[in-house]
Amino acid sequence: MGLRVKVLAALVLVMFATLTTRLWFLQVLASEQYKAEAKDNAVRLIEVPAQRGVIKDANGTFLVQNRGSVVLTINRQELGDQTERVLLDLSELLDISADELGARLDDERYYVFSPIPVATDIPKRVAYYIEEHPKSFPGVDVQPVPVRRYPLGSVASHVLGYLGQISQDQLKDPGFAEYSPGDVIGVSGIEGVYERYLAGTRGLVKYRVNSIGENLGLIGRQRPVAGDDVWLTIDAGTQELAEESLKAGIQHARTLVESDSGYLKANAGAAIVLDPQTGAIEAMASYPTFDPSLFTRGFSQKEFDRRFGAGHSYPLLNRAIQGQYPPGSTYKPFVASSALQRDIVTTGGSYGCPPYWTAPYEESDPDAVQYVFNNWTTANLGYMNLATALARSCDTVFYPMGYRYWDLFYVNGDEQSHGVVSHEPLQHDLGSFGFGSQTRVDLPFEQDGRVPDAGWKQAIHDQYPESFPEGQWFPGDFILMTIGQGDTLVTPLQLATAYGALENDGKECVPHVLNRVVAPDDTVVREYQENCRKRVRVDERYVRYVRDALTGTLTGSGTAAAAFAGFPFGDVWVAGKTGTAEVPPKQDYSWFAAMTAAGGQEHVVVVLVEQGGHGATTAAPIARHIIEGLYGLDFSAFTDVEGTD
Amino acid sequence: MELAAGRVMVQERHTFRHIDPILLAAAIGLAVIGLFAIYSATHQSLAAVHLDPGRFVKRQLTFLALGAVVLMLALSFDYRLMKVYAGMIYVSSLVLLVLVRTPLGTSVKGAQRWFELFGFQLAPSEIAKLALIAMLAAFLSELRGDLTLRDVFRTAGLAAIPAFLVFLQPDLGSSIVFVAILVGMLVVAGARARYLGLLALTAAVLIVAGFQVGLVREYQIERLQAFLDPTSVSQDALHNREQAEIAIGSGGLTGVGFLKGSQTNLDFVPEQHTDFVFTVVGEEFGFAGALVLLGLYGVLLWRAFRVALLSRDPFGTYLAAGIASMFALQMFVNVGMNVGIMPITGIPLPFVSYGGSSLLLNLASVGLLLNVHMRRFA
Repeated sequence: MGLRVKVLAALVLVMFATLTTRLWFLQVLASEQYKAEAKDNAVRLIEVPAQRGVIKDANGTFLVQNRGSVVLTINRQELGDQTERVLLDLSELLDISADELGARLDDERYYVFSPIPVATDIPKRVAYYIEEHPKSFPGVDVQPVPVRRYPLGSVASHVLGYLGQISQDQLKDPGFAEYSPGDVIGVSGIEGVYERYLAGTRGLVKYRVNSIGENLGLIGRQRPVAGDDVWLTIDAGTQELAEESLKAGIQHARTLVESDSGYLKANAGAAIVLDPQTGAIEAMASYPTFDPSLFTRGFSQKEFDRRFGAGHSYPLLNRAIQGQYPPGSTYKPFVASSALQRDIVTTGGSYGCPPYWTAPYEESDPDAVQYVFNNWTTANLGYMNLATALARSCDTVFYPMGYRYWDLFYVNGDEQSHGVVSHEPLQHDLGSFGFGSQTRVDLPFEQDGRVPDAGWKQAIHDQYPESFPEGQWFPGDFILMTIGQGDTLVTPLQLATAYGALENDGKECVPHVLNRVVAPDDTVVREYQENCRKRVRVDERYVRYVRDALTGTLTGSGTAAAAFAGFPFGDVWVAGKTGTAEVPPKQDYSWFAAMTAAGGQEHVVVVLVEQGGHGATTAAPIARHIIEGLYGLDFSAFTDVEGTD
Repeated sequence: MELAAGRVMVQERHTFRHIDPILLAAAIGLAVIGLFAIYSATHQSLAAVHLDPGRFVKRQLTFLALGAVVLMLALSFDYRLMKVYAGMIYVSSLVLLVLVRTPLGTSVKGAQRWFELFGFQLAPSEIAKLALIAMLAAFLSELRGDLTLRDVFRTAGLAAIPAFLVFLQPDLGSSIVFVAILVGMLVVAGARARYLGLLALTAAVLIVAGFQVGLVREYQIERLQAFLDPTSVSQDALHNREQAEIAIGSGGLTGVGFLKGSQTNLDFVPEQHTDFVFTVVGEEFGFAGALVLLGLYGVLLWRAFRVALLSRDPFGTYLAAGIASMFALQMFVNVGMNVGIMPITGIPLPFVSYGGSSLLLNLASVGLLLNVHMRRFA
């Protein structure tokens, strides 16, 4: 057996001899040649961007497409010691200072060996010149790169969002592992939320080049996979209607003088149209708007601040979901629903509407402070039922309700049981309409709004004692809440969703802009699953009562009767509510929320104009304009409407 | 196997004195070279994506520590026990090879080869190598008289099953290792040359048949073609070979220096910390470094053959011979493909390549060699 082991050992010896011989050849005899080859060895990676998916509206109209833009890239590694000369030459060709080019090259987000884009949309003439003189421009490359194109201009720009370079934070996030520095990624809106679908998978071409940039052959190739297309619930026509109505109404408002604060500033606003049956958002407008095609090129921080800063009322802000405002009287229907549910008011009751209302106080105490709450009008409107109080938006009918919430559930700041499980029933009921929490719309950066309660008030006071000097919960907090003031905040979308629930007998739908995702081969990758359920904790008959009461707003002595004068109510059912939110020291914010139905088509329309004065003055005419467009009615002109709440 | 417990205890007291330090040193030397080479191959790419440049080296160190434990375990029991359990070990390893093809296994780059375990990948093909060596050693050591043709084919059958199973994964490299183990152990068992010839012929026929029915994957054919006719194949395969050769050739006599290899730093060689780790040694430490590496393998194999010769029983001899065959072939095929004289088959360089399963298996093998060596008087 010993001998046979030695036979095997001998075989192994042959292996060693073979390898050593080969190594001798490679590393000693032919080494110079390999050293030369190694020196000449440079790899050039060209990323082939995947065609990003397009974004279409509900009918297939293109909202976002792609177009080619010629981009100039520089590979620092291949530039070597010629950096200065090449930058100077390029500076002349591109009419960009060499310093600026140098600054763009000096970007730590890129690998040493990856090409850095330094100029976009460069002229063809320049591109040809550079391609014809590769030796003068080592490491410089010009190539068409797809960028976003917006056939409808700025329409729906807040919903669509825009693209930008991936951030350092995202690069550190394992969720973005497949992205590299310099990659373009959806930053906001649909582009951001559905990045995973839209992006596709980039391809790669890898070839070897020698020290003067000559192509020595392809090493490998990976084809890009196009991204999926995203179809929205947005209707381009409705979106344009909403944007144009909002803009026209705002411009009209600026010609108006209200009370003693001079011309209305009407600096910003939002308008939403949604289908209450499904939660589909048909239009979401935010004013001022921006041109998303600006983002196909880079900005300096200074230019960014100038274009999108306070001077232009922060146009990137999607006020429909990011703006938080006191709802004013548009809140009353929800307060009334709760008050009916809690037996604080009844549908048969009669309530006085004096010019002001004094909160109950200890009459025997000579030092007791009397708190007086005014109605929006100084006229005494007499006695009315709850429906009329809603239609005429009588504050002094609502104030006592607020006090009753205190009286019934909060005596001396302590809760009283009264058989009610929750000790803050008003907040509880308002929360069930969706106030105080995100609607979970599929758009980024949505705000929560706020339904204040005793716990919140104490907590915020402890945290910011200067901005919130009072930490204790008072009757006044309830009283102001009934008219949508005090610390209450809503986003326009929250309000639209809540009115949707009102129209829908208490069934509330999560609002959404995604309709479906379609792969390049036309297969549907994902279809939006509607998410509607009975969330509202108010009896259906009260919801219906309040909803039907709101038809009165538009007629007779209702607050929006003037704004809707001549409207064909026989053809289109409309109910709505005005709101005038006080945001001192600014001018009043103008609200209008409407529910409409005709021919099996239902829409909720919510309009907000910052510093737009009374609800009936600015927001209601805009809403009317949108409703006229939705149902193909003749447009009425924006006319001056008397300032009612 | 009538080992009286009392006797074993008395002997065990002295066995550790008979451990082979040279064998152990050679294995450790190879692993240390591996750590340097892995760092050189990976630190730049890791840093480029903002990861710890020592990530792979640290993982390999973890495997080494784990391997030390496995090595201790492998020499702690009397190796003759393995003969008793060889059949069970062998069958278990086959079961694992089948299970890895079910959804329990993990698929990487189109090959179903691993079990994902506590964040580590466990390749059952590695376990199967040692299991096959034990099985063949047990089988051959029970045979009496000259090896008949029937014996040769029965032995071959035992090797063919795991070889075929890993081939399906597909892992051509491991299949070749199983064949090498078989041939090496048959040579030591004294199989006649014409029997081995007949076996080779049968295998050739089966492989050609395999090609015909499409069992061999396209990329395997491609890699073989790249070896046989460099002009006929895809740019990718050609590029791998070329770049590996350039890396090693440019190392010259003494190498360009640690962490200074341009081929290595610029990521020209694919899979450089695993299958092509030898190119790092070649480029950065040159011909001299490559000879040191080969020399360490020489020492390792010399000591392994010595263990085979010193073993007190045929089972130990076969065990050592099988392990030596496995090491030798893996080393030869891997370095061979790095220097362009063998086809690219995806066999790691023992002790040097990055990878936990293979390192653990190799250290377990060293443990078994030491086990046989230190119990040679028992």
